Amino acid sequence: MSHRSGAPRTESRRSFRSSGPSRWSQSRKRGIDGNLRSHSDDDDAAADEGLYGGRQSSFRTPESAGPVARCARRPDWGSQVEDEEEMRKDVHRDMQRYRRRILGSEPGQRERRASSGSSGSCDSREGETMETDEAVLMRRQKQISYGKNTLAYDRYIKEVPKHLRQPGVHPKTPNKFRKYSRRSWDQQIKLWRVKLHAWDPPAGGNQENSLSDNIEELDLEDMVDIELDFPTLADPQDAPSSSVVEDQDCSATPVKVQKTEDPSVA
Amino acid sequence: MENSSEDYRIQSFDVDTQKLLKTALKDPSSVDLEKVSNILVDQSLKDPFFSKEAGRICYTIVQGEAKQNNGTVFRKHLLNRLQQEFKEREETRKRSLQEWVCYVTFICNIFDYLKVNNMPLGALVLPVYDCLMRLAQPDALLNEEEVDCLVQQLHRIGEQLEKVNSQRMDELFFLLRDGFLLQEGLTSMARLLLLEILEFRAGGWMLSSTAHKYYYSEITD
Repeated sequence: MSHRSGAPRTESRRSFRSSGPSRWSQSRKRGIDGNLRSHSDDDDAAADEGLYGGRQSSFRTPESAGPVARCARRPDWGSQVEDEEEMRKDVHRDMQRYRRRILGSEPGQRERRASSGSSGSCDSREGETMETDEAVLMRRQKQISYGKNTLAYDRYIKEVPKHLRQPGVHPKTPNKFRKYSRRSWDQQIKLWRVKLHAWDPPAGGNQENSLSDNIEELDLEDMVDIELDFPTLADPQDAPSSSVVEDQDCSATPVKVQKTEDPSVA
Repeated sequence: MENSSEDYRIQSFDVDTQKLLKTALKDPSSVDLEKVSNILVDQSLKDPFFSKEAGRICYTIVQGEAKQNNGTVFRKHLLNRLQQEFKEREETRKRSLQEWVCYVTFICNIFDYLKVNNMPLGALVLPVYDCLMRLAQPDALLNEEEVDCLVQQLHRIGEQLEKVNSQRMDELFFLLRDGFLLQEGLTSMARLLLLEILEFRAGGWMLSSTAHKYYYSEITD
């Protein structure tokens, strides 16, 4: 390594450096030297702003007003840890349910699913190749909860019953148990959140207008990639096992969300 | 034979307090857990020895309470107390370097011990990083006790911290490299400590045997 030159150069180098690595550098494909970055998907699995801090929340939507959240994250550490524990339990319970659904399905239904456009994966294998890394699932669940903890989401599920939802038109919650790269997952979340904005309360305007506005903002290339990752599963709908608790408890994982961790539900 | 007093290093407490702590260990719900958490935090801030060891007793009480009645009272008080001290850390540092160093040691010890399902507490990660970053600031690097505290914590929990947030670790090490290279007024011991931690992390959170020899062997004339 060459000998460092005098004060002025190191001063300016230090002031540049003190701003830290570029906020967006994590999501760039190539580093500053031009070489491809290795995407350590699992390494930074937990390095999310929500759970362990770090990587910028690249899933924030372009909206200037920002999503209207129902309630904020609890500020004291004691509660944060409790919420985290609860989310962990939820994720594990969801995982059991999902496994049972995927692995316990009838041969007939399995055939139907395979032919409805899923990218070739046979469902009996899906159970084996599902995402099980707890840190990843927690991070994803957190991202999903952020989206569901909005007035837009509330209005959406009230307005559009499941049987009337059209793929591509109506937002659909990304399935956290499927294997996706970090980048693909974050993109799916981003698009899902954007679509949900169409149901923002009054200031957001007419549903149709907002939707087309948002779509124009998106890079078509991204949309094409994502559609392939969103196979439509013609799933038999599970009856929710627990009733919706309509309380005002402001925790990071809204109680309301807990009943529907059925991955096909938007 | 009761070996809890040795395991939990509670010799520095007076006899009555030791009794209280032993009861808390055996039967958490029978004691005032808020009081117990305050006792443990207060002592950790005063006693450098205890601040390194408090994690174990805290963990045992948390586990005990959870097993007994699924309670989280002790943990909640402990964490909220930690949070309060965290908010006031800059004043603490101005007032007493030792107390500040004890605080960092303590919070890192808690981070190390208090795991849930083998995963570290999410709420503590950024605060711990904030503390370490503070120790890596130019004014702190001038104090050997702060540098010593910093490298000790990185030895103990650096690898875990990096796993949950590598970006912050990178930022911390930018500061450490800068400090090592550019900071004037560092003692040679401070430089040695920094160099060793730079090598330690570069080696995947361990030292090669030759590096270990360099830093840790007795020098014979």
